[in-house]
Amino acid sequence: MRTKILTVDDSKTVRMIVRKVFKPYDCEILEAGDGAEGLTVAAGSPPDLILLDVTMPVMDGVEMLTKLKADPRLKAIPVLMLTAEGGRDHVLKIAKIGIRDYIIKPFKDEVLIEKAKRIVELKPFAESAPKAHSSLDPLEILVVEDKPAIVQLIQDGLKHTSWKIHGVSTLSAATEFCSGVKPDLVLVSLLLPGEAAFNLFRTLRAGAETKQTPILGLIVRTETAVRETALKMGFTDIVTKPIDMAALEARMAKLMNLDMSSRYFEAQKDVLVIKLPEVRGSAVLAEAGNYMKGKLAESVDNGIGKAIVDLQHVKSLEMELLQFLVHTRQACVDLGLLIAFVGNAVIISECKGFEDTRSWSFYESMDDAKSGLNKTTQDSRQVAAV
Amino acid sequence: MESDVGAATGRQQPRGKARSGNKGVNLGRFAPIVHHPMPATLEISESLIRENISHAVINVFETMLRCPISLCDPMESWPPPSTSASAEPQIVGAVGFLGDVNGLIYLYFQSSFAANCTGKMLGLDKREVEAGGATVVNDAIGEITNMIVGNFKNCLCDAGLPCKLTVPSILRGMDLKINATGHSIRYSFLFDAEGQHLVADIIMKGDQ
Repeated sequence: MRTKILTVDDSKTVRMIVRKVFKPYDCEILEAGDGAEGLTVAAGSPPDLILLDVTMPVMDGVEMLTKLKADPRLKAIPVLMLTAEGGRDHVLKIAKIGIRDYIIKPFKDEVLIEKAKRIVELKPFAESAPKAHSSLDPLEILVVEDKPAIVQLIQDGLKHTSWKIHGVSTLSAATEFCSGVKPDLVLVSLLLPGEAAFNLFRTLRAGAETKQTPILGLIVRTETAVRETALKMGFTDIVTKPIDMAALEARMAKLMNLDMSSRYFEAQKDVLVIKLPEVRGSAVLAEAGNYMKGKLAESVDNGIGKAIVDLQHVKSLEMELLQFLVHTRQACVDLGLLIAFVGNAVIISECKGFEDTRSWSFYESMDDAKSGLNKTTQDSRQVAAV
Repeated sequence: MESDVGAATGRQQPRGKARSGNKGVNLGRFAPIVHHPMPATLEISESLIRENISHAVINVFETMLRCPISLCDPMESWPPPSTSASAEPQIVGAVGFLGDVNGLIYLYFQSSFAANCTGKMLGLDKREVEAGGATVVNDAIGEITNMIVGNFKNCLCDAGLPCKLTVPSILRGMDLKINATGHSIRYSFLFDAEGQHLVADIIMKGDQ
């Protein structure tokens, strides 16, 4: 069972730091920007631990703590004060209301973890994370959206994957679906009538099978208040409309702990082929980049000495792609891998326009590239023999 | 841009009673530090203020940002050459303290330094900080200021002068000049963090 921690602080910076500090652990982090919000979040989804600031607008930490301890349903929740208010008298006054510990900012990450561990169980993610799925597994994706066009857009955008995309338009239909099938990920419109998205979230989090299921909220960029509410409630992430499908796919894959490396890397006998799909974007490049170091090292370990970057399907050369290619080339050189590029006429032409790529040689097909690399290998062997 | 100090402490002094030499700090030019004689009513020595602010700034920078920082010698040349000619915007974090002792502390950052501190504090690279925009930097600078002023005022509390913090606020602009009003004393301290500068401007309010 995931440990649920509520951070109540008017500073988003502190809430982000708390998220970062607990990232290696199997925790769900809830957020609130003041004491009043903190009480609401705690009542709606009781946490295992509250990290509480003192100086906040609307309702400060002392008032929230007092009200928390006066509420029979919430008074047992342990509170760890995390605040810049640290005068001796002040600390003693707060301690009398009832807290488990007190950390004065600034604080070291390890101090926060150590003190939290004295109160709640913190399991490192490696021990608790489920086994990674393959990108080829037929995972169940539930889309709860009352606009058929959005459901269709998501189904079309993900049709190249092996995932099963189920679209429903109401809370009851979503609940019924989840009673029969355990979804691997849920996408829900935050603007469904009657706060259906939030009710669905509570239902899924209360279910033994779905309490860890990633739940993404869908919303238009301008609805910032609803977005903030969802994040504070504990939604895994927010996807803004219009939807960047490439970014969404990469995000979903990461949240479902999928190994997506086969999309970009394929060992073909003695050559590692690095493929870039036609549909790209910074998220796709970032995803491919995340696997790069490990895949190149694994290839060298397995006796592969050559890499081919396949750009045949790429339609144009943006700056991010250029940086990706330069980085890839350098990584191959560093590991002693021979590298070749396969490109179409547009890519070859555009690469000539940049200082970093001007001198690169391109092949027009994979077969040509493999032959070229084989020839280079033979030539270097002959030189070595001489 | 010019702003009068006092409202944030909740005890604004009548205008026109500023002490002699209370000229404010123009960060566009990095005006020289002005030292004033301490009034007996405040009973806080300049050396205590220096010690407290130095400890607070170093503690917060080393703990939260893992960034070495040191208090410059008051005799060190002023303005610092690396910033005096800069037309870079400034970001100023402000937090007050109220109680048996009242005051306000402004921390002045050049915008690039503020972004750098934000990245270090949140573990973000330069591109991620830029993508977050002014909101992320403002919040981070507000929190750094909150922690530094919190540390500073905790020392005052432990010295028998209980007081509480106000919520942080942020000023942004070019050539910022903040004037203290009323019966107050101002101290300015320059810190150096790997060639980038931070100014801590402390305004202690006197008796009514």
